[in-house]
Amino acid sequence: MTGVTDVQDDGYGGGDGLGGESPGGTDLPGMPSGAEPWDSGAGERPGIGRTSPQTPSASTSAPATSDPASAPVPASAVARPAPRRGADPVKALLHRHRELCERAVDPLEIAAGLEAHGITDRTAARFRHRDVFSLAEELYARVPRSSGEADPGTEPLPVPRVRPGWVLLTLLPGALGAATTAGLRLTHGHPRLLVAVAGLLALCLAARAVLRHGPLAGPSGTRAWRTTSATRAWTVWLLGYALFGDGLLSAVLTGGPDTLPTGAPDAPWPTAVAPVLALTLACAPAAWCAHLLGAGARRRLADSRGLEEFTATARPLLCGTFTLFLGTLTALLLLCGTVLRQPAAYAQTLTLGALLLLARLLAVHRHRRAPVLALGTAAAAEVAALALPLTGRLPGCAVLSVPVRALVNACGLAAVPALACGAAALALLFHAGHTLTRASAHALTGALE
Amino acid sequence: MRIGLLTEGGYPYVSGDAGLWCDRLVRGLEQHEFDLYALSRSRQQEDEGWVPLPPQVSRVRTAPLWTADDDGVSHGRRARRRFAECYGELVGAVCAGAAPGADGPSGCGSDESADASADLADRFGSALYGLAELAREEGGLVGALRSDAAVRTLERACRAPGALRTAREARVPDLLAVTAHLERALRPLTLDWYGDDGLGAADLCHAAAGGPAALPGLLARHFCGVPLLVTEYGVQLRSHYLGLGPDAAAPAVRALLGAFHGRLAAEVYRRAEILTPGNAHARRWQERCGADRARIRTVYPGMDASRFAEVGESPDRAEPDTLVWVGRVEPAKDLISLLHAFAEVRKEEPKARLRIVGAPCGPEGAAYLGHCRALAAQLFPDEAEGAHAVGDNPVSFEEIGGPEAPTLPDAYAAGAVVVLSSVVEGFPISLVEAMLCGRATVSTDVGAVVEVIGGTGLVVPPRNPRALAEACVALLHDPERRARLGAAARARALELFTVEQNIAAFHGIYLRIVSHCPVRRVVLDASGEPRPFAAPAESHVPGRWTGPTARVLPRTAPGWAATAPVRATPLAAAEGA
Repeated sequence: MTGVTDVQDDGYGGGDGLGGESPGGTDLPGMPSGAEPWDSGAGERPGIGRTSPQTPSASTSAPATSDPASAPVPASAVARPAPRRGADPVKALLHRHRELCERAVDPLEIAAGLEAHGITDRTAARFRHRDVFSLAEELYARVPRSSGEADPGTEPLPVPRVRPGWVLLTLLPGALGAATTAGLRLTHGHPRLLVAVAGLLALCLAARAVLRHGPLAGPSGTRAWRTTSATRAWTVWLLGYALFGDGLLSAVLTGGPDTLPTGAPDAPWPTAVAPVLALTLACAPAAWCAHLLGAGARRRLADSRGLEEFTATARPLLCGTFTLFLGTLTALLLLCGTVLRQPAAYAQTLTLGALLLLARLLAVHRHRRAPVLALGTAAAAEVAALALPLTGRLPGCAVLSVPVRALVNACGLAAVPALACGAAALALLFHAGHTLTRASAHALTGALE
Repeated sequence: MRIGLLTEGGYPYVSGDAGLWCDRLVRGLEQHEFDLYALSRSRQQEDEGWVPLPPQVSRVRTAPLWTADDDGVSHGRRARRRFAECYGELVGAVCAGAAPGADGPSGCGSDESADASADLADRFGSALYGLAELAREEGGLVGALRSDAAVRTLERACRAPGALRTAREARVPDLLAVTAHLERALRPLTLDWYGDDGLGAADLCHAAAGGPAALPGLLARHFCGVPLLVTEYGVQLRSHYLGLGPDAAAPAVRALLGAFHGRLAAEVYRRAEILTPGNAHARRWQERCGADRARIRTVYPGMDASRFAEVGESPDRAEPDTLVWVGRVEPAKDLISLLHAFAEVRKEEPKARLRIVGAPCGPEGAAYLGHCRALAAQLFPDEAEGAHAVGDNPVSFEEIGGPEAPTLPDAYAAGAVVVLSSVVEGFPISLVEAMLCGRATVSTDVGAVVEVIGGTGLVVPPRNPRALAEACVALLHDPERRARLGAAARARALELFTVEQNIAAFHGIYLRIVSHCPVRRVVLDASGEPRPFAAPAESHVPGRWTGPTARVLPRTAPGWAATAPVRATPLAAAEGA
């Protein structure tokens, strides 16, 4: 009975090693479910050999270090030449597991890897070590660590891609806006009302789609219903004011309004179609700006060594994208004004566009509170500008309408929305300069696994 | 007794990990009341629902680990400072190098370094509890853990003098990844389980795994003084290392996360009243990570012995020259070596046959099975009894359910000797099954084989076909020895690896913990004054000595000490490990 160790001790004493279990699968506590192995799918650990690099065929033919000292050499094999073995048995082991040892970050990782390859405490004893842990410590100490250079195998952070889906989708609101405008120009009476209602509905749906897909989409996960609905309400009000506000304010100041807006260019309550059309067209540049900001920030994240360094490089990026958007919006305004032969209303539209873009960028990067606050303040200022002259009509309250009248007389009707949106946009720009330039704003929401 | 059973991605869910074991435990100890506290691992797992629960499970509370809702609370200045202090301490202890292995038995060993590592462990623990207290009092921990302040604190800790060398090289994406992972790992801190109506009402917390599952138990111990029992059938820290391989993340991330999980494991092992590893391998890892030997009791996983009873107790009906191998076919099982060994066996015993029973596992297993079939055909040409008979190969590949082996016990019963030829093995379940069937076994010395087999079978070195062959021949030649070994193996398996011993061991450990460290609760009356003698001394004695109203909480369970006397043998055997 040579070659056989008939184990006589009780077997579970002495800290005898238990060797490799399958990675992941075994160490998860699925083991005790083992009464019904593999025919019920609950038993033996799946994938034990998944990471074993040594196929047994290779290992049987190369018993360089596996010939155990504990097993007496069979009598028939005594005459064989001694197995190939250098003076330093650990060296061979090191060579075999070089990649594991070089890339390990601490000795326990090497120990876990060695055990997954079937090395037990009894194997470690052949290398003159008490257990796998001390063997792993020697391996860890003996391997030269590659330091400093980045690991080429790890992807830094996935940079968002340009997908044709969202590119086309961002063009949709602009197209619908243009179609609605054309429809309003071509129709009269009841059909015009129908066209206006249908166009608004379509625009709302398109805007909703744009804000759910692509770079303008908010972070996934549950969102607070109150902040979302508040943001929506304020945005609708601000856009509505851009459309009808100037006409309404002038009517209020001159004793009106007497009629409802009709959408005709020469009606007594004019509607500013050109700025709103420019804003709907600006959905596309806004999405591109958000994409540029996100992708640029990811790239800078991968390149920077410290948080300060990232902030320093992200600030110009934010300013650049913001300026780019303002430039594009100006060009769109010019275009719309020329085509529709309407005043382009640069001041109020540019500030409103800036405000909306910044609010969305902040919301995309998980800062929801500041946008709601800024949008709400701007909307409240516009409501006040309309409400004060109306209240001034009450007997004894004429004083209330003085500030609005003075402002309008000094700077024109556009001053009210321009001031309201401009102040809010400035505040948001300041806030974004602090928050969007931080690394945590550009982190992936998902965890590592 | 009310037991808070803590699981992570486990028991009440259908696709849980340790489902069968927990189910048997809960059903087996029906004299106790169980509250389940389950952390789910994915939405899919939640959608698949629960297994049917026995009536002794009085309450189930679940929380997702895969998502966290920011409760919208933003901290004031003082809370922010408190968070920064605690989180700074936590990541400082993580970054401070000297992985938990260094304070193990074979660490450098000088008093100074031992002091330093104990100090680090204390810092980690107090920071963890500080964060939990902050979450309990102020809320908003999820947002704070994701915030820029957290990332900046981590960066400062990484750049601090004395930090891990790998951590010092951490770049911004690494910092973000580590922050996100820590936020995920610390999610149990934000749960509302630790009140008097939750884990605080339990007499004992039993964590079904280490790591995240044990974290609520740590907090319950901190807040309410509930003793903690941790069962680890696989070491969480080790599976973390294996799961987060070099390709999964940058070195700095792996170093920091490894250090964090090491520290967390050390804290769990330090605070747990009793640790019950499933085998000596898990036990060694626990000791390595700083667990106190005196508090470790090995409790072997239990297997259902009844299905093997018939085969085990009936007289031997095996064909005398048949070797059987049962298991999943995959490269780690080293069937090639087995086939080579069988070739040697055939030289001595020309009539020997080898039956390989098992299905391939995955595409790799299927390819390996094909390879083995080809090798078997090459080594052993088909042979017939006479010139006119149809030949047959001495090596047959079968699957359970086929005509030759309709059930698993039948497969074992058909062999005179059961062979295990693995090169890598965890807890060898097929070996335990063979033992339950009363078979003589020859196995390779891998994994927990020696621990399981004891002296009741032959053990040979792995990757040594000649030794394997000689052991098989020795047994084939000696039916008497075969019968002796088989009977001993069955007796041993019945003593150590049955469900009953598992449950009895846990029953004994529960009683022991509750009698050694009962939860002391102060009961307040209506005006908020402590009520004297509300929890009389008898309530700490194991047994129902007073009426049910004398307990702090109304108990509906029947008396738990009146039934199921504890069997001393399995526990004593486990302690001998």
